[in-house]
Amino acid sequence: MNVERIRQRSDIVRLIRRWFDERGFLEMHTPRLVGLPGQEPHLDPFWSVVHEADGASRPVAFVTSPEYAMKRLLAEGMDRIYDLGPCFRDGEPWDGTHDPEFLLLEWYRRDAGLEDLMRDTEEMVRWVATESGYTSLVPMLGPFRRMTVSEAWNAYVGIDLDPLLDDREAMADTCRANGQTVTDADTWDDLFFKIFLTGIEPRLGEEPTFLYRYPVSMAALARPCADDPRFAERVEFYARGLELANGFAELSDPVEQRKRFEEERALRQKLGKKTWPLDERFLGALPKMGNVAGIAFGVDRFIMWLTGATSINDILPFPARERFED
Amino acid sequence: MASPNEIKKGIVLLHNGEPWVVTEFQHINPGKGAAFVRTRIKNAKTGRTLEQTYKVSETIEIVEVDYRNAQYLNHDATGYTFMDMGTYDQYTMSDDEVGDQGKYLREGLDVTLTMFEGNPIALQFPRKMNFRIAETTPAVKGDTATGNVTKEAKTDGGFVVRVPIFINEGEEVVVNTDTGEYVERAKKE
Repeated sequence: MNVERIRQRSDIVRLIRRWFDERGFLEMHTPRLVGLPGQEPHLDPFWSVVHEADGASRPVAFVTSPEYAMKRLLAEGMDRIYDLGPCFRDGEPWDGTHDPEFLLLEWYRRDAGLEDLMRDTEEMVRWVATESGYTSLVPMLGPFRRMTVSEAWNAYVGIDLDPLLDDREAMADTCRANGQTVTDADTWDDLFFKIFLTGIEPRLGEEPTFLYRYPVSMAALARPCADDPRFAERVEFYARGLELANGFAELSDPVEQRKRFEEERALRQKLGKKTWPLDERFLGALPKMGNVAGIAFGVDRFIMWLTGATSINDILPFPARERFED
Repeated sequence: MASPNEIKKGIVLLHNGEPWVVTEFQHINPGKGAAFVRTRIKNAKTGRTLEQTYKVSETIEIVEVDYRNAQYLNHDATGYTFMDMGTYDQYTMSDDEVGDQGKYLREGLDVTLTMFEGNPIALQFPRKMNFRIAETTPAVKGDTATGNVTKEAKTDGGFVVRVPIFINEGEEVVVNTDTGEYVERAKKE
């Protein structure tokens, strides 16, 4: 264990809290154990069983993110809230960039959009870097690079993304032309990722970069863009080649949300994964949530960035490899 | 047929009818997307490299290859030479074929050669190896305050690795040969 890194970790987490506290954000302590976890088709919660004293029992899951609880709190009238705590995801690679238990920061603002999330992220990152003294890896001048997903496709692989939206066959042809394999089971999103992960993400390089305006199919909890509903108000933040954050101008239409949840649940079924009922309390709260924007930010990867650690295992006291392997 | 989850460094895939050696791979879970394995593959015949991303649920074809245990002998203008200690057969791999891994090789090291049609096309050796620190700067007071918790160190293998500032010249450290990173101080025997 690198004890110095663990001290740095502590400094950074304390400063993150201070940044939010000093700006009037309230820290929420949302539950880690829930009955109905997020059902993103490609995330797998850990399940357990809770027993009451009389022996009655029911299944519970560890949260993959605090998102549903945070949105319900917003619907109860909260504004400017954050949550900073461990989240849990099963089935992820222990490859130096993931741990099944990781520290996730989420924050939300009312009457806000992607611009506000990008500005918050930039300011918070720079402030924490400055206060902690770990400034050498964070560019301090000018705004962080901002690109739409379409701009990134043009810039790195020379492909015009817009005509490919909603056209699986055209996307499949583009994949083949770029040397990728295509199978019948590949969805449009899968084909998008094959090109994105091969030709775009690795070329974003070290520079902190916001990628925004995602195809609407890839943004299950985001509002469609007002000027072009084929895209949605989603932003991802990359630095040192790693995805650090994922944010949305949040969808508050319960009818559309229900439709997307049902599609996601159908996809889980198709993938042979466990399914569970839709969270009706969450859906019922959405109309009261109003116009909010929120972002989930990976604190472990942020610590890696600031300290120059190349593996998540260097900044965790007891990484998965160590605690679960003999 | 195999799953991309079985992809490892040094295995050989059939891609468009040709054998390609996996030289790098990385599992990726975009969270909002399926799981993928991003690879860099090298054509076993032409040496051309490609980047290729497979969805974990698709099937790939892994080519059966032979593995041969051998010992590293030496490096010269023709490349790196290895000997099968059972048969005394010698095999040579060029600098290009061995690539960056070459820096970890030292005389007498036991390696596994991946053999394709009688020729070695890839090389495997222990993921964790000990090296002695031949040269490094001493820690300077105030380093940790400014965020410098690692420093460069030159090993007896001649390559440079980033180590924590508390590591001194003459100490043995464990290096991960997959990532090139410092792992820990070597345990005293």
